[in-house]
Amino acid sequence: MRRSLLILLAMLLAGVAVFFAGNRIAARLQMRHMAQTTDDLAWLRMEYRLSDAEMSRVRGLHQGYLVVCSNYCERIEARKRELQTALSAGANGPQTLESRLAEIGQLRAQCQVAMLQHFREVSQVMPPEQGRRYLAEMERMTLGLHEQMESRMSHDASSPHGHH
Amino acid sequence: MDTKPEPNQDPLRDLLRECRARPPLAANFQQAVWCRIECAEASAAAMPSSTNWLERCIETLLLPRFALAALALMLVVGGFTGLAAGTGHAREQAQARYLSAVAPNTIR
Repeated sequence: MRRSLLILLAMLLAGVAVFFAGNRIAARLQMRHMAQTTDDLAWLRMEYRLSDAEMSRVRGLHQGYLVVCSNYCERIEARKRELQTALSAGANGPQTLESRLAEIGQLRAQCQVAMLQHFREVSQVMPPEQGRRYLAEMERMTLGLHEQMESRMSHDASSPHGHH
Repeated sequence: MDTKPEPNQDPLRDLLRECRARPPLAANFQQAVWCRIECAEASAAAMPSSTNWLERCIETLLLPRFALAALALMLVVGGFTGLAAGTGHAREQAQARYLSAVAPNTIR
């Protein structure tokens, strides 16, 4: 009886080991297989099951948006460098800083408007239900971060920025 | 040089063997033994104790074909859960890739 129980225990351990080995190997192989793609839009096809025609239209919109986006990003980076230079040069008067920060903020806002517009355009290319889901998901992911941060800051403001 | 005595050469041993008391067996001795064995087996089969049940289960599970089937089943189940987990991770990576393409950190 005791020997049988020991063998059963060994079998259970072997079963658990085999389960985890199979699990890890399959997960790694699947990740390796799916990570082979270098397409930035692979997620859209995967998540929203888009047809080739829909993907082609989305790809066109994406290429157009990338030009606009990289243009804004370059301008934001240039303004940030200018701000950094001004700070290093000791030009830290409130007026100067405020105007430079306002410029950066304005560019960011314009870029976000272009981004949201792009999401709307892409969602219109998709089937209606998928489009709604995509738009909600993208707005949540890109704007939700700000909301979380602002919400956290407003809570902190009740006890001035967490200082006690 | 063989020093082993012949069986008939030790009279004391023969005498002791003859003197050993041998009570006569009951007439139905053999039948009674079998009856007791059968009764014990029948009662065990009628009311299996948890130990017997467990023992039978273990014996069944330890048959090579059952053991191999169980291991194969564990491997298949592990493989499928791994595939699902791998797909989930890959999907998250693809999503992060798309997000960084359309909404770089500069504007988020």
